[in-house]
Amino acid sequence: MVRVKVKIIDTDQEWLVEVENGARIRDVLEKLDLNPEEYIVSRNGEVVAEDEEVGEDDLIILYPVVSGG
Amino acid sequence: MVNCSFCGRKAVYVSKALGRAYCKKHFLEYFDKKVRRTIRKYKMFSEKETIIVAVSGGKDSLALLHYLVKLSKRVPGWTIKALLVDEGIKGYRETTIKDFLRVAEELSVEYRIVRFRDELGYSLDEIIEIGRRKKLPYHPCSYCGVFRRYLLNKAAREMGGTVIATAHNLDDVIQTYLMNIVKNSWEKIVRLGPVSGTAGHPRFIRKVKPFYEILEKESALYAVLNNLYPRFVECPYAQQSIRWHLRKYINKLEEMYPGTKYSMLRSLLRIIQLLEDKTNKIIEGEIRSCHICGEPASHDLCRACTYRLELEIMDENGNIIKNMDTGALGNQLSI
Repeated sequence: MVRVKVKIIDTDQEWLVEVENGARIRDVLEKLDLNPEEYIVSRNGEVVAEDEEVGEDDLIILYPVVSGG
Repeated sequence: MVNCSFCGRKAVYVSKALGRAYCKKHFLEYFDKKVRRTIRKYKMFSEKETIIVAVSGGKDSLALLHYLVKLSKRVPGWTIKALLVDEGIKGYRETTIKDFLRVAEELSVEYRIVRFRDELGYSLDEIIEIGRRKKLPYHPCSYCGVFRRYLLNKAAREMGGTVIATAHNLDDVIQTYLMNIVKNSWEKIVRLGPVSGTAGHPRFIRKVKPFYEILEKESALYAVLNNLYPRFVECPYAQQSIRWHLRKYINKLEEMYPGTKYSMLRSLLRIIQLLEDKTNKIIEGEIRSCHICGEPASHDLCRACTYRLELEIMDENGNIIKNMDTGALGNQLSI
């Protein structure tokens, strides 16, 4: 199993998520019931596609796409 | 690792609908090509323009301002100015104005901020409260949209604008399309094209949507990659809107069936084309001038003056009526 930290930028929404080895960011979001269509993803400070695999202790920051009003 | 379909570098974006992955460099190239194609295809700008970019301080409008300022370096006849309408939404607009000012300064762009409070006598928060007390049937987003469009057109004209560019993206457009299907408002659907306001009225400034074919996710990614992404803050009235729910459903559909959004845009463009001949029947009557303010109107009064009379914040001569009871909000000043 791999453990990653997920945060939504500028909010206090934060989770520790455990996923299978080889899981992708998309799988992490699915576990949190978040739609990848609605977030830009940065992993350890670098913008990446949501089909990237996650590694132990990765820090995933999510930039909501559906902000505003 | 997901690799760029063009150079093999690490991808920052995957378009399932197009079956391609993009690294930062190739995403920005793809974005630029797509917007320039939209501008050309719909003849949005001529060689000499004073383009007023309507900004809110949100990611889409900051991305559009950044993009057009960059593009204008290649077109000597273009002048870019930014216009922000401050509705006075406490806890929301103050934040987005700060983000706007930071970007406007970085880009050295001339700008103007117009405020509901100065122009209408009341902030949006106060208007909503007055409307509630009077039991008027309007949604917060209706007041906001009507007054914002009214002030945008008026202020853009005062700034010498020849065209207004708004940051509506593909997602915004198809959400509005669906909202108007639900409401059976075909007269609004025929106006949902990439260019609007061609109806001849001397006070009407043409509006264009350069991000018409850009997905909201692409516009957000452009903002993140160019360090424009503002502090995340959501309008407190947003979740009261049908748009908020439609957006969620459409995003779910897109995730399950990639290409849904492009398909919906094609559906919209097709229906606009099919309705073209019937437009005069769908939009009743010709464009007139409002009897009170002289701005473009489809009836004797424009929608902004109709609302102001109903709210009793303006008299029939167009004078602001001060001191309307706004309850506890009366002591709050919008910035």
